[in-house]
Amino acid sequence: MRRVLERLGERPAAFLAPAAIVLGVVTFFPIVYVLWLSLARYSLLGDEPSFVGLDNFVRLASDARFWNALGNTLYFTLVSVVLEIAIGLAFALLLARPFVGRAAMRAVVLLPWAIPTVVAARMWEWMYNGDFGVINYLLGTGINWLGDPVWAMHAAIAMDVWKETPFVALLLLAGRLSISPDLYQAARLDGAGPWRAFRHITWPLLRPLLLIVLIFRTIGAFRVFDAIYVLTGGGPANTTETLSIYAYKVLFQALELGYGSAIAVAVFVLVATITAAYVRLLKEAAR
Amino acid sequence: MRNAIEALSRGLAVLVAVLGVAGCGDAPPAERSDERTIVFKHFRLFGDPAPFAALLREFEARHPGIRVRAETLPAASDEQHQFYVINLRGGSRDFDVLALDVIWVAEFARAGWIADVTGLLPDNEALFAASLEAVTYEGRHYAVPWFVDAGLLYYRKDLLELHGFSAPRTWSELAEAARTIAAREPGVHGFVWQGRQYEGLVCNALEMIWSAGGEVLDGERVVLESPETLRALEFLQSLVAQGVSPAIVTTATEEPSRHVFGSGRAVFLRNWPYAWTLFERPDSPIRGKVGVAPLPHFEGHESASALGGWNLGINARSRHPDEAAAFVRFMTSPDAQRTLSLAYGYNPSLRALYADPELLAAQPHLTALRDALDAARSRPVTPRYAQLSQVLQSEFSAVVTGLKRPAGALADAQREIERIMAEP
Repeated sequence: MRRVLERLGERPAAFLAPAAIVLGVVTFFPIVYVLWLSLARYSLLGDEPSFVGLDNFVRLASDARFWNALGNTLYFTLVSVVLEIAIGLAFALLLARPFVGRAAMRAVVLLPWAIPTVVAARMWEWMYNGDFGVINYLLGTGINWLGDPVWAMHAAIAMDVWKETPFVALLLLAGRLSISPDLYQAARLDGAGPWRAFRHITWPLLRPLLLIVLIFRTIGAFRVFDAIYVLTGGGPANTTETLSIYAYKVLFQALELGYGSAIAVAVFVLVATITAAYVRLLKEAAR
Repeated sequence: MRNAIEALSRGLAVLVAVLGVAGCGDAPPAERSDERTIVFKHFRLFGDPAPFAALLREFEARHPGIRVRAETLPAASDEQHQFYVINLRGGSRDFDVLALDVIWVAEFARAGWIADVTGLLPDNEALFAASLEAVTYEGRHYAVPWFVDAGLLYYRKDLLELHGFSAPRTWSELAEAARTIAAREPGVHGFVWQGRQYEGLVCNALEMIWSAGGEVLDGERVVLESPETLRALEFLQSLVAQGVSPAIVTTATEEPSRHVFGSGRAVFLRNWPYAWTLFERPDSPIRGKVGVAPLPHFEGHESASALGGWNLGINARSRHPDEAAAFVRFMTSPDAQRTLSLAYGYNPSLRALYADPELLAAQPHLTALRDALDAARSRPVTPRYAQLSQVLQSEFSAVVTGLKRPAGALADAQREIERIMAEP
């Protein structure tokens, strides 16, 4: 037994193998397979896949629905992430201050984030109802939130901001609390007001964390699917169709695995590019 | 170290067990040599499960040696479609008989996943024409109609009478009555229907297009762009603009629109037959005030409803095709359809049952429904229907929300569908 153990000890690969095999099967293989599918014409309806080179990507380049979905995705990502970071930061700074009921408040703020997205989206769908929804009732308006091409996207953004801001607030709060109170005390002694303390202490020390939050939220928003799919299904007239919804419809409704995979690869490349840009920023910030 | 080894081997054992179980999914359940089990995949029937179970036991009693295991599918139609596609594409033999939405038959038949069941169909005259068309692919039949559905017009008898209107036969009569009554009755909308971007919108819009003499496909040829279709889409776009329909129809699916009409806040509703029973429930505010009729049409043309419903097909790789055929024959027989209709309110696919005294006594709206079903049309029967529907959904949505002019949307839809149909 001892000898067996010693032999195994010399071969770390033997211990790593199970994990590596599982990872290979569930991660590496699907990625390679999707890349291959994106170069094929392959419908699930009986035909065998046939290699077509870059045909799918050529078609993608001239596909108005793809560019529409890309535009929708970028708009959704930009607006929702900016709002989430701004509001989340404000919440984090407020929650870092001592006040009565602070612990309870911190828990309450997290609530929207704890609700499953599909459930939350159903809830908002009823709140947005143009006929008897509570939002029109409170605002005294008669807006057809989800049926109007201009309002629909903003209604979806509002829901996403409501849902995801707590996540941003929580991470930034943790970052803010890790900054030593001594620094603020020293600043006060030197005569710095709250704005200068924020500008020269909080902001620079929070920046690395802020960038990480930005990466998480940007990637999350870029891949948005369930929230919008439940709210509008991509309508009206594809004005809220994001890349993920487009890919889903092509892959799982129309069963065009080749073209759908090409859309998925495009999303992958875009997300990778955005992440790479952020990582560079992060490295610069760390220097 | 010993602990680590133990943990590792235990982990591997679990992994092997999991993979093993997953791998065993295909193994047939143990059977006695004289007994064959067929598996029936179907959507969930809402209501008391007892009558359905009793029907299965009756089949087993009449066919000694065959056992039936009924398995339900996920609730959403998209998920059911996905389940079938993934399993049938993988050559699964885990189920023998399957319930199919009317719009899937051509797709599955072309893929070779469902068996030719031409011999199982009753006489053609016993079925509704659209229902027969929906199960036909290249001249053969690939499923047997089980339940059928068709779009209907619900109207408020009391409000129409009060304001001096009769049930509308044409779209312009409907528009006039809806506009007038909505203007005179505060809090009451005119005509509600389903205008959200989804499959239901395709049904609503096609019903108008057909009732103006338009069509999507003629064989393989795309004939959507025509003066008839344009007329229908211009009318569709004018509904909200001219106050016939409230703006909320552009987000409505079946249930929200039924809710508006069911709470007494609309004069007209386009919906499927299921709504009838709900309007006649004891606690319904509009009980006894609802009339039902085939959908209106444009002058000089005929009323048309979109056909919905379910068919029974047989897995082409089934191990027990004869037993599966016997089961399909049994489930689509007049007796079984009557039982299921009484228990669950589904509408039978056999025309003769619409004159059945027992059924008529329980569901008086069947008479109006038969007229609608006789005038029903099937959505384009093509293996590429799912792709086609996505184009129609977004273009029709652009029309009802006023984003595109009808002529522009029509030209775009025509071009896109031509591209889809031209794909190899």
